[in-house]
Amino acid sequence: MNCKKARVLMSAAVDSELALKEEQDFLAHLKQCKECHEEFEDAKKTKMIIKERIVQFKAPQSLVDAIMQLTSLTAIEHEDTLLFE
Amino acid sequence: MTETGRCEHMKKQEPIHQIQTKKDSLSREEQQKQHEFQKEAVVHLNSLYNYALHMTMNPDDAEDLVQETYLKAYRFFNSFERGTNCKAWLFKILKNNYINRFRKNSREPGKVDYDLIKDFYHSIKDTRSDTTEAESDYFHSLLHEEVYQALHSLPEEFREVIQLCDMEGFTYEEIANMVESPIGTVRSRLYRGRKLLRGQLEDYAKKFGFNTNNNTEQ
Ligand SMILES: [Zn+2]
Repeated sequence: MNCKKARVLMSAAVDSELALKEEQDFLAHLKQCKECHEEFEDAKKTKMIIKERIVQFKAPQSLVDAIMQLTSLTAIEHEDTLLFE
Repeated sequence: MTETGRCEHMKKQEPIHQIQTKKDSLSREEQQKQHEFQKEAVVHLNSLYNYALHMTMNPDDAEDLVQETYLKAYRFFNSFERGTNCKAWLFKILKNNYINRFRKNSREPGKVDYDLIKDFYHSIKDTRSDTTEAESDYFHSLLHEEVYQALHSLPEEFREVIQLCDMEGFTYEEIANMVESPIGTVRSRLYRGRKLLRGQLEDYAKKFGFNTNNNTEQ
């Protein structure tokens, strides 16, 4: 495998989306190519940062209530309402 | 006025006893649908809300968007293919709603309003849930806010796939379906998006005086 092909597969390798054979070839390339190896490590790190650093907010109670209401007793009314649109 | 706003309005006009009657008269089938919908769809409320926030950068719009999404999802719940990823299905509906309603008057592409991002971040930060402090590399010291800004400085097509993949954990196939592009496109957007993001984060790291060579000593 050459660097060009390795870069095409890079993100899929980070996300464990490669087929077994592809993954083997990719990892074999990393063993002999420092640049691709570094890029791979960087990409994994970037993914990790986004995963762990981006704050997840809680949905406001008003929204939770609205959704619960929507799916409990008002379903039929909404069907009616939608017909007017 | 919003669609959901109109529904709210009409609902309020109805006398209580009438709603009660309707509830009692719900068919068994309808009750089953509601039960299943709550179990399958409503559990993803927080994820949808966060995704809507990232897209709209406005809590009210995000709320509207999520309400509308659930309204549509409930209405078309019968067409949801059982056994597939319900969260992915909901995200797709949300995205379509967003395109129809918001994108027309969104900010110009390529322009990043850092003040807006910053203000927005601060206005909503208070309710944030806890995050774990685990890594030990130099990015450890970066503020959450900086990462947030870096993410939002990316062109939408890159930010979108990164969020769907890294934050929401969708598969490439699910993402490809959501953004209506081939898997190869998803791959290359993720590759390029992460590279851009990496560059942004390094800038921040330098700005804050952190060493970028995996050296944690300060
Ligand atoms: Zn290489």
